[in-house]
Amino acid sequence: MVSINYSSREVCCKIVYYGPGLSGKTTNLLYVHSKVPSNTRGKMISLATEADRTLYFDFLPINIGTINGFAAKFQLYTVPGQVYYNATRKLVLRGVDGVVFVADSQPDKMDENIESLLNLEENLQEYGYNLEELPMVIQYNKRDLPGVLSLEQLNAKLNVKGRPFYEASATLGNGVFDTLKMIIKMVLEKAKSNSRSKPKPVTATPVAPPTSFTSEAINKPVSESAPKSPEPSSATLSREHVLASAPSTPVSTPSEKVGAVASAAVPKVKEEQSIGGSSAEVNYRPYPGSEKQQAKEVDTPKTSFTSQSQEYGDNNTVEEKQTGQEIDNSEFKQPDLSLPKVIPAMKHRHEKKRGFFKRLFGIK
Amino acid sequence: MTDDSLIIYEEEINQIDALISKMLKGAEAKCALLVDKDGHLITRQGFTHSLDTTALAALLAGSFASTKEIARLVGEPEFSVLFHQGKKDNIHMSLVGERSILVVIFDDRTTIGMVRLYARETSIELAKIFEKIQEKSGHQEETGLSHDFTSQAEDKLDDIFQD
Repeated sequence: MVSINYSSREVCCKIVYYGPGLSGKTTNLLYVHSKVPSNTRGKMISLATEADRTLYFDFLPINIGTINGFAAKFQLYTVPGQVYYNATRKLVLRGVDGVVFVADSQPDKMDENIESLLNLEENLQEYGYNLEELPMVIQYNKRDLPGVLSLEQLNAKLNVKGRPFYEASATLGNGVFDTLKMIIKMVLEKAKSNSRSKPKPVTATPVAPPTSFTSEAINKPVSESAPKSPEPSSATLSREHVLASAPSTPVSTPSEKVGAVASAAVPKVKEEQSIGGSSAEVNYRPYPGSEKQQAKEVDTPKTSFTSQSQEYGDNNTVEEKQTGQEIDNSEFKQPDLSLPKVIPAMKHRHEKKRGFFKRLFGIK
Repeated sequence: MTDDSLIIYEEEINQIDALISKMLKGAEAKCALLVDKDGHLITRQGFTHSLDTTALAALLAGSFASTKEIARLVGEPEFSVLFHQGKKDNIHMSLVGERSILVVIFDDRTTIGMVRLYARETSIELAKIFEKIQEKSGHQEETGLSHDFTSQAEDKLDDIFQD
């Protein structure tokens, strides 16, 4: 989401470097940080583990200067590439304006590239984004290594939509700036094309005739589709509305795939789900009415135990299954207060005893 | 995406700044930042000159986002207030409307209770202003970026990004 502040006259955009683990996302940022003039960039922040693996994100703010009276600022983020950091990876994508997908060109990394690309699409969808409309550039990194896949092979699997792509070697710096320039241009173009009607804001700059987006400046092969004009209907439904409704949707699928961060909660959640029935939401305090009603139908011993006190007299199907015996309803309703009946075996014992004394005393 | 760009005009920023200044005075806090949930700094007030507010905004938004996920995992939709206690300085964060966070940095000259009280009142007022901004942006879709903005940016980029 492009942030435009007319008071401080700033335009702020968020660009996220996405890709599989160890593909070179942080290296891209480090190169930009080392080469860009110090008055243009801010401090680079890296939330990494002790082994220098990104834990949450890397952050590098860049201010390219004043354009038409507006200071253009770009915030470059990277995500943690490892699979089990999906929870934090998704958070970084919030409010993204453009994505650079950094792919590893080595043949044995192709599966990870594809998985990461699918994960990107999935995470964007959860925020209500459409990958088709989001500015995105693909960077085939590590081209300096021997035995890397050809561009045709990479494009066939990772760039079906024909997005702009660049060959790069982030450690040497080749292609890093080309990628960044391209994504910035695409993001600004998208921000500009987002303006639909013409009323001028209070402090806006004069509107010049439109200039079409050109890609001549790019020396690499680029096949870019022109940014689509937004549909009028999208004006009524803002992304925030989609976001606001997101937490209320069932969370079973994301939480199961979240990995290490969410794994601690998963067993308990699943247990609750199995008892609670239809709802996938985490409910630690089940509502009395609905839960007990559902509990009657469940034949697990645990459930029957909780519901026993309620349905002791009128419905004993659960208990029958639990004990495996048939119990007469009347015995529960009207407890028998009479003396216990003598069973035949006892009778026989009494007779035998009496016979013993008879024989002892010679009674006939 | 850009469909719901946050566009704030001078009029609203002045109102926001006035509210935050009033809060700082009342709560006797050091400084306050208003941060978008995406990590953009909207405005700042008080003694912020020694702070890297851009980085601070990004990290605070990240912190808030991760806490939201934690809240969701324990069955809460969102934690609306966060508090970080340090030896000297403390940070109080509270949610403003749907998309912003009010961050107040204060030291031992005031108390958490005072900050919380003033921050809560200010958050409610700020939320009203943000509602107006949202309504305005619904009617007015012009981002204000001139059409040669991109081409001018390209020239700048070529100057800055040189290997």
